[in-house]
Amino acid sequence: MRAAGNRTPVLILSALGEVDERVRGLKAGGDDYLVKPFALSELLARLEALFRRGTPSGERARLEFADLAMDLMGREVRRGGRRIELTQREFRILEYLMRHAGQVVTRSMLLENVWDYHFDPQTNIIDQHVSRLRQKIDQAFERPLIQTVRGTGYVLREPD
Amino acid sequence: MVRVLRSLTFRLALIYLGLFTFSVAGLLALTYWVSVLEPLWQVQDVVRTEAKALAALYDSAEPARLAERLAAREDTPAERLAFHVLEAPDGTVRTANLPRWPRRSGDPWLRFELEEFETADREEHEVLAYDLLLPDGARLLVGRDTEDLDDREELIFDAVAWGAGATILLGLIGGLLMSLAVARRIEAVSRTARRVMAGDLSGRVSVRATGDDFDRLAETLNAMLARIEALVQSVSRVSDSIAHELRTPLTRLHADLEDLASSLDERAPEQRRPAEQALREATRLQATFDALLRIARIETGRYVASRETIDLAVLLDDAAELYAPAAENKGQKIALNIAPGLTTRGDPNLLFQAVSNLLDNAIKYGPAGSVIDLSGRRDDGGIEVGVRDRGPGVPEQHRAEVVERFYRMPGSEDAVGLGLGLSLVAAVAHLHETRLVLENADPGLRASLRLSADQP
Repeated sequence: MRAAGNRTPVLILSALGEVDERVRGLKAGGDDYLVKPFALSELLARLEALFRRGTPSGERARLEFADLAMDLMGREVRRGGRRIELTQREFRILEYLMRHAGQVVTRSMLLENVWDYHFDPQTNIIDQHVSRLRQKIDQAFERPLIQTVRGTGYVLREPD
Repeated sequence: MVRVLRSLTFRLALIYLGLFTFSVAGLLALTYWVSVLEPLWQVQDVVRTEAKALAALYDSAEPARLAERLAAREDTPAERLAFHVLEAPDGTVRTANLPRWPRRSGDPWLRFELEEFETADREEHEVLAYDLLLPDGARLLVGRDTEDLDDREELIFDAVAWGAGATILLGLIGGLLMSLAVARRIEAVSRTARRVMAGDLSGRVSVRATGDDFDRLAETLNAMLARIEALVQSVSRVSDSIAHELRTPLTRLHADLEDLASSLDERAPEQRRPAEQALREATRLQATFDALLRIARIETGRYVASRETIDLAVLLDDAAELYAPAAENKGQKIALNIAPGLTTRGDPNLLFQAVSNLLDNAIKYGPAGSVIDLSGRRDDGGIEVGVRDRGPGVPEQHRAEVVERFYRMPGSEDAVGLGLGLSLVAAVAHLHETRLVLENADPGLRASLRLSADQP
């Protein structure tokens, strides 16, 4: 399919967790890979991420959402013009959320993309990281942008 | 190599070699007896008889008579050359047909060798002589040539020397080759066993089609392995179908409870609370389920772990950083003691999860404000990863049970979590051909894993 120039996003579902299979799948042009059994919410979140990814954003130097602005070159974050100090990890979490603004991002997606490890974190450790990020990004401001989607993950979204 | 030398086959070969050498030695001894000793004794009998007869002829007044008889004896053609020496009482030589001879000693029997250049006929001779003292003090030596027996003796000794040497050398080499051949067949079986233990249940012992006893063993073992594979597969199928059958209802239950909880939001909190509790239990149920499934897959080898080169220093750093917020919440500090450049081979995701679980435990059971030591260091050809807390620790009698699923130490039954953390760490350790070691850190617990160092 890829050889024919078809750029349709592909998510591979597999019954096995073999890494070479995963690598093969991704190398063959697959965009994401999920191992059975998986949670439905996980599948939906990743599918949505794929669909949005379809629109090439190119190499941008800045990410913006609502009054949040992220300067990728200077590694700087501002909200409402005010500079916010983030740790390297917090920066990457926010970057990922911003790149998937409006889409639900699961904990495993965060773990994979921000920490580069594939497993399902049993504890709420990811939540604690996000909570700290929220303290810096949302707490002092009127409208919290990082929302929790119960049972699934997080989303960067304007509150209704 | 040393293993081959200590193998049963080699020992049996040595025993056989010993018995064989012993029998051959016996055989050669017998040959020696029959072809050298007996003839020698016969010659001795003859010489002794001759000597005594000649001695009886001696008359001290007329020694020439004996001399004549001796000369006649010498000239008489016989199988063995005749030798004689007649010394006067004062030691002078009356007659002799030998170039030299030994002095008198306590032994009447003399055996000595004459070289080629000494003898009249320019040949080697072995003299067997009887040494008599005549009544007037004269000395009579009567002897015969036993060069042929001497040659035979040399031949047998040479045979023994060379034969023994060759036998032992060939025996050792043969024994070694035999042991190697057997060791190879045994190693093939061991190799398959190791492969199966590592999780590849399709491993089978190769059959050489020679129909020998090793082939029969291989066939029996293969039948056993096929049975094991079938059993494990049926267990896997069962657990997979359980997993499959339960997953969907669990997901639905979770979703329904979520709907219920959120639909009750607007109403009284007393109604919402039971719904939220139910939702929490459903979440916990799903998490337990997932974790159990994962551990089972790792243990039965259905999770095929990757073998990548991993920089443990980076992995440990990442783990410490991931759990930093949890530690901070309890005022704890994760102290890092990581040597640089610790490379190993393994599955990075599984190892990361194992270390994460250990850190999670350390944070959970360690007292607030305490220090948790995360260490990675080289140790005796391997790499040791250690997590140490200053909590209540695990008493020795519980250390084996603590890695079992759902085990809780008496007194900590309500601890947060599923009780599966250490089970997973143990499963990951096993997959990496190592063990989870729990030690008393006094205070606290030290959990460690020894991984093999990957030589770049």
